[in-house]
Amino acid sequence: MVRGGIFLAAALLALPSVAAAETMSFGDAAALLARSCGADITANCRGVNLDSSRLKECLSRNQDVTSQQCKAAYLQSLDAIQKRIAARVTVANACTREIVKICHGSTKETSKSVPCLMTASGVSRNCTQAMTDAGYR
Amino acid sequence: MRTFRKMALLAGGLLLLMGIKSPASAQNAPSRDDIVAKLDKYQADQELDVAALRQQVTERSKMRGKNEPTPQKRPPIVPEITKLPTFNVDIVFDVDTPIVQPESYQTVGRIADAMVYASLLPYNFLIVGHIEANGKREANAILSQRRADAIREIMVNTFKISAKRIQAVGLGEEQLLDSARPNAPANNQIQIMTLSKIPESEPPAVAAAAKKPAAKKKK
Repeated sequence: MVRGGIFLAAALLALPSVAAAETMSFGDAAALLARSCGADITANCRGVNLDSSRLKECLSRNQDVTSQQCKAAYLQSLDAIQKRIAARVTVANACTREIVKICHGSTKETSKSVPCLMTASGVSRNCTQAMTDAGYR
Repeated sequence: MRTFRKMALLAGGLLLLMGIKSPASAQNAPSRDDIVAKLDKYQADQELDVAALRQQVTERSKMRGKNEPTPQKRPPIVPEITKLPTFNVDIVFDVDTPIVQPESYQTVGRIADAMVYASLLPYNFLIVGHIEANGKREANAILSQRRADAIREIMVNTFKISAKRIQAVGLGEEQLLDSARPNAPANNQIQIMTLSKIPESEPPAVAAAAKKPAAKKKK
């Protein structure tokens, strides 16, 4: 029952990243990691905190004893976190016109223009999508 | 192409719904919107010398005079922060360490989600660690600081929240959240507080500090 739920959730979680540039929230990515690898981390990576590079290093180093479920999911979940972070840079590109013309901001400090972009009218679909991907909205 | 995109959006929406309810999670992680709602109540900057506060906690936790008040009776060490917008959260750590257990990964991820959400982008935050009044008072001050630091590090290193936006302090058992019951689990919560507003940017030409808040950058 729980297992089925896990697989269903994992499958559903995998969907959007395949379908488009859509990203996963940090919470969901971290939850996927915990669901798939929690037991492996507790068993083999005790003392390693929720740190992308250290966890990746530990889980790959322990490949031989890592569960199938975890092997299938840990890179996916860690990549999902990276994608969400990388999406912030995309906002600067997708929203250049809006940031400069509408919000009178700078693409070097995109995050300062985000609250304005959220309420401004005339924001392109691309820009809106980029903000969604970055988790700003 | 259009329908493709629509489908993707739909799947995303479904995901969002799942994320909020998520019955599969071991712990009841708060939703991003819960966290945002609590923290998005900024009124004024709180002047707080975090380094000095740490020092104060360290010193007070070493007091062992005969007249030292019991944990219930200790005056809060920094009462002014109780007025800040605050989100209290249970995060499960390995015993006596700052290692977050996997069952709390989702919760920690949600805190990061809240910090990048548009309405909270203009603010700086304080992460406050607490430990229930069991065991050595001094060790509790140290452990709470390590845990608050660990959450900050996860925010900064794993989720790439600007380091300038987050400060961390451990109050040990010097400001119990449930002082009437010094051993209650509520006293192990982590608090996230909205501390101050990031100063408005200078004209674009000078704003070279990339996405990071140009806070106290002189030059």
